Amino acid sequence: MHTERALVFDCRGETLVGVVSVPAHADAVAAHTGVLIVVGGPQYRVGSHRQFVMLARFLADNGVPCMRFDYRGMGDASGEARDFEAVSDDIEAAIAAFSREVPGLRRVVLWGLCDGASAICLSLGGNPLVAGAVLLNPWVRTAETQARTMLKHYYLQRLLDLRFWRKLLGGGVNLRGALGGVKEAAGAAAGAGSVPSDREGPVPKRMLRGLQRCDLPVVVFLSGRDYVAREFEQCVVGDAEWGAFMASGRCRVQHFAEADHTFSAVAHSEGVARATLEWICSLG
Amino acid sequence: MAALRREAFILPGSGGGRFCVVTRPDGEPKGQLLLAPPFAEELNKSRRMLALAAEAFAERGWLVLRIDLFGCGDSAGDFGDAGWGDWLDDLELAHDWLAANAGAPIGVWSLRAGGLLVSDWLARSGRSLPWLAWQPVTNGKQHLQQFLRLKGVSEMLNEADVKETMSTLRAQIAAGQPVEVAGYTLSPALVAGMDAASLSLPPGYAAPVSILELSGQSEPSSSPAVRMLVERTKASGVSVDSAAIQGVSFWQTQEIEVSQPLIDASCAVLGRWAHAH
Repeated sequence: MHTERALVFDCRGETLVGVVSVPAHADAVAAHTGVLIVVGGPQYRVGSHRQFVMLARFLADNGVPCMRFDYRGMGDASGEARDFEAVSDDIEAAIAAFSREVPGLRRVVLWGLCDGASAICLSLGGNPLVAGAVLLNPWVRTAETQARTMLKHYYLQRLLDLRFWRKLLGGGVNLRGALGGVKEAAGAAAGAGSVPSDREGPVPKRMLRGLQRCDLPVVVFLSGRDYVAREFEQCVVGDAEWGAFMASGRCRVQHFAEADHTFSAVAHSEGVARATLEWICSLG
Repeated sequence: MAALRREAFILPGSGGGRFCVVTRPDGEPKGQLLLAPPFAEELNKSRRMLALAAEAFAERGWLVLRIDLFGCGDSAGDFGDAGWGDWLDDLELAHDWLAANAGAPIGVWSLRAGGLLVSDWLARSGRSLPWLAWQPVTNGKQHLQQFLRLKGVSEMLNEADVKETMSTLRAQIAAGQPVEVAGYTLSPALVAGMDAASLSLPPGYAAPVSILELSGQSEPSSSPAVRMLVERTKASGVSVDSAAIQGVSFWQTQEIEVSQPLIDASCAVLGRWAHAH
């Protein structure tokens, strides 16, 4: 059982909107550890097919307080639209609001999907309340990782796909466009045109720096049917530092072979919710 | 900018709370608007646009109530437990909240399938309220069919497989079973209600109705369905107008999109209503 409360809170003069789900019984095992959901991609706090609402309620029913919120410029929040690289203040404001709403809270686990997971990595290391992170299909896209993944998983797979050839022979494929795509992807994978514009370095590097700034436990959930997850795997394989982090004792990885990017089947989103609960309980 | 206020609260309802956001103008409201939300994932994709519009309406003196229906958004319940009738009851609940909280006249604002709900709700309650309909869905059966097609698309099937998937889904529905599509479980009670819904206004409807649509064409014009509806309705003595504005279908785009021209045109409609009072 749980109760829910709606709240509005301030972040640098803008109004953010959130909902906390609180366990009905405050004496539950994990009540002092809360989960803050950091939304990624073009979604607001309820998530695709209400994934985050259901996750929050599942956790609260099992004794873990949970909060979901919209960062500035998204969903019901006021302010200019912004991307995941500019939401650290919003995450900090949400942690503070979560603590005010649930007075027994002693630590907060950050939970994020896609570029929500990336935003979490970028913000790690500053707040002593943060006790860990759950990262689902983290977004590590650069021109180079995208091209590598496209080449390896998309175009090569398509060349082996009978339906593709049938379509091609039937005139259903723009051959020039398809080959142009391969050429572009090959060029980018070889390094051309993939110069990072940010002087602080590419996003995957900065995410790793966030993870290295702290010694918090991290769990990574990866979907089997998702190119974002494949790109993350490629990034880890191609980078010794990432590889070392993933192999370290404080990182755990769990695969959901049949799941898509947003875990759209009810069975998969429920699986993620259970895995999240188990991991939080394992923190002690 | 005017000192408008954004409030969020949970309104008690049958089976649990309904999440509400209210955008309040600075000072006494000159009017109140109740939003009837769109269906399933379209609610997610349009959230930012609806929030921006509510802000613009509040800046012009309107109080705007946005309610998440049972099993939708942040409201109580599973989507799969919701029926069409529950959603009509929720519009009544929201209307009662507005009627009890301020004296200003109430109008309705709908997006997409929210228009079908408003149509059924007005018919049921016998009310005539000023109505701003954004891109109304005119035929529930068709809307449902398009939603069911997502099942085929999400599984990346070819056309023949999609047809088979659709007939399997329809057979499940006919047998009174819930169906799962794109992460949403649809109850037989929801399917039946949407299947039967169509946009209409009773003869002599005593309040102004404005229909605004977005179109990707360089010379936008109202959709054939809306043109027919407007002609039919005008003939029965109802004050209805429609306009089309160039813009993208923000309720279904991959990335979040907004249309300022649609907000501006809507503010003009609200201005006309205020004058009529």
